Amino acid sequence: MKINSEKLRETLEKMHRDGYKYLVKLTAVDYTDRIEVLYFIRNMDNGKEEIVRFDLSTKNPHIPTVLDLYLAADWYERELSEMFGIKIEGRNAKRLLLEKWDGKDPPMRKSFIWSKPYEGMKDEVKWAEKYKDDKDKKDGDQNVIRIGKPLK
Amino acid sequence: MGETKINIGPVHPSTHGVLRLVVTLDGDTIRKVEPHIGFLHRGVEKLVETRMYMQSPSYMEKIDYVAPLSYDELYVATVEAALGITVKDRAQYVRLIQLELQRIASHLLWLGTAINDIGQLFSVFMWCFKDRDIVLSLLEEATGGRMFYVNQRLGGLNRDMAPGFDKHAYKALDYLEKRIGEYQEYLESNPIFMERMKKIGIMSKEEAISLGVTGPTLRGSGVEFDVRENYPYYVYEKLHFNTQFENGGDCFARYRVRINEMKESIRLIREALHIIPEGDAIGMPIRLIGPQPKEKEVMVRRELPRGEGMMYMVTEGQRPYRLSIRAPSFINTAILQHLPKGHRLQDLFPILASVDTVMADVDR
Repeated sequence: MKINSEKLRETLEKMHRDGYKYLVKLTAVDYTDRIEVLYFIRNMDNGKEEIVRFDLSTKNPHIPTVLDLYLAADWYERELSEMFGIKIEGRNAKRLLLEKWDGKDPPMRKSFIWSKPYEGMKDEVKWAEKYKDDKDKKDGDQNVIRIGKPLK
Repeated sequence: MGETKINIGPVHPSTHGVLRLVVTLDGDTIRKVEPHIGFLHRGVEKLVETRMYMQSPSYMEKIDYVAPLSYDELYVATVEAALGITVKDRAQYVRLIQLELQRIASHLLWLGTAINDIGQLFSVFMWCFKDRDIVLSLLEEATGGRMFYVNQRLGGLNRDMAPGFDKHAYKALDYLEKRIGEYQEYLESNPIFMERMKKIGIMSKEEAISLGVTGPTLRGSGVEFDVRENYPYYVYEKLHFNTQFENGGDCFARYRVRINEMKESIRLIREALHIIPEGDAIGMPIRLIGPQPKEKEVMVRRELPRGEGMMYMVTEGQRPYRLSIRAPSFINTAILQHLPKGHRLQDLFPILASVDTVMADVDR
């Protein structure tokens, strides 16, 4: 079920009244131009399942909390806010659940930078920089940072 | 008396991994529990995005090292659904048998460690490990692996059950059934065990549904829900599977559900071994470049030993664009914020044990 992001609370409140009281999973997908958020909800009486989904913009995304409807949303919302940088309005979801990071680069976004040189190995990084135009190096290969000083 | 804050973990024998609990106490009564997780976070979901489909199964097994085969199967089933591959008839039976064996192994490990947490019932721990070894030997005979298996291939398996497996399995199952009955009799006539399990950590049906708990923890609260019955996969429909549930909602009910599930699994394996068809069960060999995915997004759910596991995959060419894992332990651990409130400190560990969490599964 595709909805508008502003109608999330309204829709979920209605679904909750209709018996969809079990939140199976709350997740998101980063499509680089938009973030899709998905609520998998289930009616435990008849086993019917529904996916409530909507798009968010990648700049300053925010959703309202549904913690008062589904207690299960507690850690899911925190995980979402941590992994995708989505702000959860109406609750305190600031403490990081799984990771330690500075808050600038959410790890599950596609823009996340994978390999940053380890700063404690500055000499080796410099050395790798110097040899980065190796003949063996193919396009797309990452620089291999060799531990230890090169032989002269 | 004022409130006291104590810190338990991250390394504590009863937390079964690295879980830190900050407990606020009023005298001996628990007022608040704050679980801190993430010590084992490896970013599996992100790692999968960088690998081809069939490079990941061995990594999936490490999510839950107590029941690796179940996770492996869940992932391969998700890929099969995305690529539009059907599983061979015999392979469906073999997978079911292995999954149920894995469930018995996982529940036996749970029984041993949980009872060890409760009190000085260390012999049960040793017996359970001894019996789990029998199941592991069976799995080794069937898959070639003992700790990790990586036996699933697209459309089937890497290795069919060895000849004579059924004979060994029947023998082992008879023995296990006898032993599980003995444990039940022994434990339920033990006053220490009963005192520490009954009426501890009670969770009502409504509470359980709202908290989103899953697996035996949910069924212990009187909810008759099992993926194997409600959304059947493979040949569960043919095998007359019965959902095991209890109405108590306390630690004892959750224990009972697991004991009954083991018995049900034994029955299922016997039934499956009886009607397993002859034929080929070998799947496609692992190739980095495989068939193109037919589905843009798929969602597959399975009843893992710890609860309902779900994988939601968005595909893009030969790699998953996004893999979202619903780990049963993750959502089951979250209830530690609610369940122990009002109990005494000594009851915290029976409650934690009755939920059956694996920290690697929580953190992913």
